[in-house]
Amino acid sequence: MRTFLLRRLAAVPLTLAGVSILVFLATDVLPGDVGRTVLGREASAEAVALYNRRLGLDDPVWLRYGRWLGHFLTGDWGTSYTLREPVAALVRDRLVASLTLALFAFVLLVPVALGAGLVAGARHDTWLDRVISATGLALGATPEFVTGVVLLVVFSVRLRWFPVSAQAGPGDGPLAVLGHLFLPALSLVLLCTGYVARHVRASTIAVVDGGYVRAARLRGMPPARVLSRHVLRNATVPATSALGVQLQFLLGGLVVVELLFNYPGLGALLLQSAVDRDVPTLQAAAMVLGLAYLTVTLLADIAYRLLDPRVRLAVTA
Amino acid sequence: MDRRQLLSGIGASGLAALLSACGVGEEAEGGTEGSASGGPPKRGGTLRAGSPPPPTAVDPVTMYDGTAIAIVQLVAEYLIWLDKDFKLVPRLAESWQSADGGKRWTFKLRPGVTFSDGTPVDAETVKASFDRLLDPGSKSAALSAFATVLKAGGVSTPAPDVVEFALERPFSDFPYLVSAGNYNAVILKRDYAGDFTKAGIGTGPFVLKSYNASTGAALVRNERYWDPGRPYLDGVEIKFYADDQADLLALQGGDIDVQLLSRAALAQPLAATGAIDLDTVNGTGVTVLTLRTDLAPFDRKEVRQAIAYALGRPAILQSIGSGVGDLGNDHLLAPLFPAAPTDLPQRALDKAKVAELLKAADATGLRFTLTFEAPDKDYAVTIQNQLKQAGITVELDQRSSKDFYGGDQTKDTPWLFTPANLVAWAGRAVPSQLIIPMVKSGGTWNGSKYANPALDAAADAYDTATTDAARKAAAATVAKILHEDVPLVITYWSGAVRAYQGKKFRGVQAHPAQYVDFGSVSKV
Repeated sequence: MRTFLLRRLAAVPLTLAGVSILVFLATDVLPGDVGRTVLGREASAEAVALYNRRLGLDDPVWLRYGRWLGHFLTGDWGTSYTLREPVAALVRDRLVASLTLALFAFVLLVPVALGAGLVAGARHDTWLDRVISATGLALGATPEFVTGVVLLVVFSVRLRWFPVSAQAGPGDGPLAVLGHLFLPALSLVLLCTGYVARHVRASTIAVVDGGYVRAARLRGMPPARVLSRHVLRNATVPATSALGVQLQFLLGGLVVVELLFNYPGLGALLLQSAVDRDVPTLQAAAMVLGLAYLTVTLLADIAYRLLDPRVRLAVTA
Repeated sequence: MDRRQLLSGIGASGLAALLSACGVGEEAEGGTEGSASGGPPKRGGTLRAGSPPPPTAVDPVTMYDGTAIAIVQLVAEYLIWLDKDFKLVPRLAESWQSADGGKRWTFKLRPGVTFSDGTPVDAETVKASFDRLLDPGSKSAALSAFATVLKAGGVSTPAPDVVEFALERPFSDFPYLVSAGNYNAVILKRDYAGDFTKAGIGTGPFVLKSYNASTGAALVRNERYWDPGRPYLDGVEIKFYADDQADLLALQGGDIDVQLLSRAALAQPLAATGAIDLDTVNGTGVTVLTLRTDLAPFDRKEVRQAIAYALGRPAILQSIGSGVGDLGNDHLLAPLFPAAPTDLPQRALDKAKVAELLKAADATGLRFTLTFEAPDKDYAVTIQNQLKQAGITVELDQRSSKDFYGGDQTKDTPWLFTPANLVAWAGRAVPSQLIIPMVKSGGTWNGSKYANPALDAAADAYDTATTDAARKAAAATVAKILHEDVPLVITYWSGAVRAYQGKKFRGVQAHPAQYVDFGSVSKV
C-alpha cells in the first residue's frame, strides 16, 4: 500500500504540470483580447494595446508561462485580469462553495443509488427491477437543466417550499444553507443515480447468483442476513469507482446547475475565465480542480483496495 | 449549440410556457394593483434586485456593462440625470448655459452637497472627475464620447461653485455629454484611485456597504443625501445571476423584487400571466445592417435601397424586438431624440420597388454574405428569410463575439471591414454620438466607409446649432441624406423593459439605457 501511495503521490505534480501547460497553450490559441474584454468595445485601440502591454500579454508564451509558474509556486496566484480581485481568494471561495454542494449531493446520492441498485439486483428481472432501471436510465438521460427547471418551477415558484437561489444569505444557519442547496443537489442526484445504480445492480446480480450466496441460502440463512452479510459488501465494491467518477463530476462539472440555481461555484468560474481569457484565474481554477480530481481518484482507489482483499493480495503478492 | 445556449434558447418560450402551464401567475393576479396604488411613499424596506455579474471590475472610469453602471448610479451621481424621456434633469448641477456660440459651457453646482463620507463637492472636485476621464492615458470609454468635442485641459473652475468647459468646437448637445448619457461621467472624489468597490463613496442616494464579484452587492441609504427625505428605501441588495432564466425565476419565486437588466422576450410572457409587472420605454439602442458603400455590390445606391425596401419592418420589430421600440427609417435620428424628423415618409416593404432597383443596378439575383455575432443570429436569419422572398440570397457568416470584434481595428476587424454585417449599438443620449463615429467621413466606427461632404456639413451644422429650429433643420438634412443613401439599414430602434414585483414596490421604471434611479422607489 505504501509503494502504491508513493507512486500515486509522485505522479500528482507531473500531472498538474501537464494540465497547466495544456491550459496555458489552449488559452493562447483562443480568439479574443483581454484588453478589449476589460475595456469594452468602444475603448480606443491604443487604450486596449496599452492595457495588454501592461499585463505583459505581448511577451512570448514561454515567458508568460514561466512568469506565471514562478509566481504560482511561490504562492502568488496574482490578480484576475477582468475582475481585478485576488485570484487566490476568488478560487478559494468558489472551491468551498463547490465542495459544499458536491459533498451534500454525494451524501444524498450514495444511499439512494446504492439502495436502488441493490433492490434492482436482488429482484432482478421483476417489475421492480424494470421500474428502477427504467427510471434511472430516463433521469440519467434527462439534462440537469430540464430537471432543474422543473424542480424550480414546482418546488420553488409554485409550492414555495425551497428558495429559488442556491445561495444562502450571510446570516443563514446550517439548516437554511441546506435548504438552499437541496434542489440543486436533488437535480444532481437524479442525474447521477441511474449510472451508479446500474453498476450496483450488475454486481449484485453477479453476487446473488454466486456459489457462496446459494450455499448460505441452502444452509437456511434468512434472506435479510444473506443480503447484509454476503451481498451488500461484495456488490458495492465495484460501485466505488462509479461513485468516484460521480464525485469528480460533482466537483467540477456543475456549470449548468450552478448557472440555473445561481450558485457561485468553481465550474462557472472556470467557464467564465476561459471565455474572458483571464489566464491567472483560469490556471488557478484548473490547478485546484485538477488536484481535487486526483485526490478523489486516489481516495476511490484506496477505498477499493480496503474493501476488496483480493486487490490488496494482488498488490502484495 | 452548447447546454447554456440551449438553456437560453428554451427560456423565452419554453420556460414561460412551462410556468404558464403550471398555473404560475394565477396567484399573483392584481400584481399591478400595487404599482398603481397612490398615497405618500412609505419609508423603509430593502429592494432586492437581480442582475448578471459584471464581466469586469466595477470602476466608474472604465465600466461599460449594465450591472456595473447600475451599481455606480446608485452610489454616485452626474451633473445631470437623463430621464426615461431623454429629458435632462439637474442633479449636482443646478443650471447651465452656453456662450461663444456653443463653444463654452458653464455649470453652476448645487450648494451643500457632500459625499457620503462628508467631503464637500466643489468645482475642483468636478474638474478632477472630468480631468480623470479626459487624460489621454485614461482607459475610459468616455474618451470616445468626448472625442473632437472636449480634450484634457478644457475644464476650469472660475468660481468654487462654477465649472466651465471650453470645447474644441461648438456642440449644442454638450449637456448630454456630462449627463448620465455619458455613463462614465460620474462625479467622484478628487483622490479616487480605482477602488470603487472597496470604498464606494459617492453623492448618490445609497452607500456601497459590501461587494462580492461572485455573489452581489449590498447598499444602504446615504444619510447625507442632499435631497431631503430621499431615498425612501433603507437599502438595495443586488444578487448576481449568471443566467437570464435563473434571474427571471428568482423574480417569479420572490427571491428578488426587480431585475436591473430585463429581456423583453423573456419577461413579456410572464407579465402577460400577471405574475410580474413590466415597465416599458422606447429607446435609442439599435442593431444596424451595415453595408460597405466602397465595395461591390453595395457601392451601388440602388442595391442598398433594394435591401432596405425588401425588409418588413413591423414584423422584425415584433419578432426580434419583442414589439418594444420604434420602427426605423434608415437614418440615425431615433424618434426618442427631440430633434428627430417627423415628416420623412416611413420606408416599408415594397417588392416591386426592389425588383426595379435591382434591375437598374444590374444586380438581379443578388447574393451576399452577412457577418454577425451569435446574439444577432435570429435577426440575421430573419433578414435572410425576408430577402429570400425578394429574390436576394444571403449567406450567413456567424462569428463568436470575440472574433467579430477582434482583429486590427484599423485594418481587418470583421465588425468594421466585412461587406455586410450586423452590429448592435447601445443606446446613445445624443444623435451625434451615433452620426459622428458611424457615418461621418473617416468616423472611428464607420463600417460602411460612407463619405459624403453634404452629410458631414449637416452633422457639423447640427452640432453648432444654437436654436431648436436650427438643430431640427440640420437633423432633418442628416436624416434625409442617410435615408436616401442607405449606408445603414435600420429597421427598428430597441426599447427597454424592466420587470419587477409591483405588489411589493412602486416607482420602479424602465429606462432606455437600462439606467437605474431608485431614489423614488418605495414600498407599496
